[in-house]
Amino acid sequence: MSVLIDKHTKVLVQGITGAQASFHVQRAIKYGTNIVAGVAPNKTETSYLGLPLFGTVKEAQEKTGATASIVFVPAKYAKSAILEAIRADLDLVVVITSGIPVRDMMEIKHELLNSSTTLIGPNTPGIITPEEAYMGIFPDNIHKSGHVGIISRSSTLTYEVVLEINKIGIGESTVVGLGDDFIIGTSFVDIIKKFNDDKDTKAIILIGGIGGNYETEAADFYAQLKAKKPTLALILDDPTPLSDNKGLAPEIICRGITSAADKKRILKQSGMIVVDNIQSLKDELARL
Amino acid sequence: MNIHEYQAKKIFKQFGINVPNGLVAYTPTEAKLAAETVSEFGPWVVKAQIQAGSRDIGKFSDKRAGRKGGIRLSKTLDEVYDNADEMLENLLVTNQTGARGRLVSRVYVEEYIKTIRKFYLGLVVDWVSASIVLLVAPVSDKDDDDIVQLAIESPETILKINLGLQKEIKSEQLKEIVSFMNMQIELSELKTFLNRMLKLFYTYDATLLEINPIGINKFGNIWALDAKIVFDENALYRHPEIQKLFDDSEIEERELIAAKYGFQYKELESGMGIIVNGDGVALNTINQAKNMGINTACFLNLKGGVDRDKISASIKLIMTNPRVDGIFINILGGFSRCNLIADGIITVADDLGLNIPLVARFEGTNKDEATDILKKSGLPLSIAEDTTQGLLLLKEAIAEDL
Repeated sequence: MSVLIDKHTKVLVQGITGAQASFHVQRAIKYGTNIVAGVAPNKTETSYLGLPLFGTVKEAQEKTGATASIVFVPAKYAKSAILEAIRADLDLVVVITSGIPVRDMMEIKHELLNSSTTLIGPNTPGIITPEEAYMGIFPDNIHKSGHVGIISRSSTLTYEVVLEINKIGIGESTVVGLGDDFIIGTSFVDIIKKFNDDKDTKAIILIGGIGGNYETEAADFYAQLKAKKPTLALILDDPTPLSDNKGLAPEIICRGITSAADKKRILKQSGMIVVDNIQSLKDELARL
Repeated sequence: MNIHEYQAKKIFKQFGINVPNGLVAYTPTEAKLAAETVSEFGPWVVKAQIQAGSRDIGKFSDKRAGRKGGIRLSKTLDEVYDNADEMLENLLVTNQTGARGRLVSRVYVEEYIKTIRKFYLGLVVDWVSASIVLLVAPVSDKDDDDIVQLAIESPETILKINLGLQKEIKSEQLKEIVSFMNMQIELSELKTFLNRMLKLFYTYDATLLEINPIGINKFGNIWALDAKIVFDENALYRHPEIQKLFDDSEIEERELIAAKYGFQYKELESGMGIIVNGDGVALNTINQAKNMGINTACFLNLKGGVDRDKISASIKLIMTNPRVDGIFINILGGFSRCNLIADGIITVADDLGLNIPLVARFEGTNKDEATDILKKSGLPLSIAEDTTQGLLLLKEAIAEDL
């Protein structure tokens, strides 16, 4: 029916007492998300927004059976909050926080390698299984349930794609925002795998980001995947260079594949249908 | 965040990495004095201090600077003076500066170090593996961008070692590097050098550390002849001493103001100004506009901004830009809330008046409140349902306005 989350997933929220977190948590509950607890290390109350409030993830998990967490903790303190969630062996952790230092994410990512946790984000709108539940900050009035899985490196572009494909009557099984930062917990590959195995997902849309080598990694993986579902890749042209002073090393480790044109070429070679605007994406989807 | 070469070299020195003696100069006379101080007999190297690469093969836009680039070997003190004179207050154009080039407001005068071999050396964070990768490649005296070409065409000529989160270089890695470099060099010299670079990288939350080139002299000593460090902006709060090195003059004023509020502002050509809340929607709007024959003057990315005052102050940047002939506000709010942005528009319009066409499109969080706010304001603006309609409305309004 979906990947990663459905209406039964028991979710806790780290950093729930912040103003932004409170706002979005209430919306998510209204949407149908099964939020069961809040975590705030310096808590003075025992409940918040009608949810039980705990000092640690471990305690919240033991008392409520939560298996997933949304992290709203500010960037400076995000590392310890995320590590706490990973060490509690939660299945899924979605990090909304933006502005987490690169080195903190490197350390988190290396700890993640030896765990069973799936980390989505940071700097992501989250994950939504339309008309069931979401973990994140989605505009909740735009998604429709359907059979296309979306994986994205660009938050706002995702919303635009969702709105446009809904116009031609196409809905989503699950939408996964990978996050817009340099280092992210989960890349395209793991989610392509999940959608490819999900019987209710009939096609996949991959929305690329600016710079970096995640799209190259996705292309390498998709090229060797057997029995693959049709996958459309949306890569927008970048009229302004990411930075005019980025040094040579990033180009070298990306094998020189960093521009939109490079990404389009390598994704096309892997067997994906590659488009560079939303209208073409709709046309290709309608054809499938 | 970027810093200048001379600032990076000062940091190198603090970590015990060999750098040539050098001093910064703002006038030709200062350059000559600097030369006398850093080396008795010369020769010297006079280097334009702009934060962009490929300086040596760049060209100055003013002809008085001659055809030479921004890094010049000078054999006499008079040559130091002349080279500094030609470069200072002149625009240097390289393949990383854009066509306008960057103003050279200072030069760095260094003693010339004679070396027998040169290498490119880089430490960089690889996104996918979340690791530090060490790069080594031999360089000629020619174009430094050759290295990128090499990476694509013959990747085997560049040594790449994934260091993970290693704080120190391992002995088998040292041996691999030495054998790759194919030259006589003491392992201990290389080890000390690399460990100091790694220490610098970790200490200051760098995301890139590049020396193009390192030089090895006949005694086997390693010298950093160049220095480039990029710092993680998200980690600057941990390093106030690095934050102080930030050079305002390298960034346009409007960009600077937006950055102060945590937003992104970018100048393109002339035409419409767009206000968006993410990279993706920015790119999509610009591309779609281009296909419809509309150029973009600038864009303001409010990211996930939710602070009223900061939003208003930034919207002002676009409304007061003389190159903007119409404004398209295209918001797909998740974290961002449409109503806060609508409030910002009204505040600025009340303040400055609204004398160019404005089209707003809101989708997502608090969309209806935002639309209501704008409708009730009585401002002469249009509301669109989607990007395409918004661009069409703006195109018509601009045509009528002219």
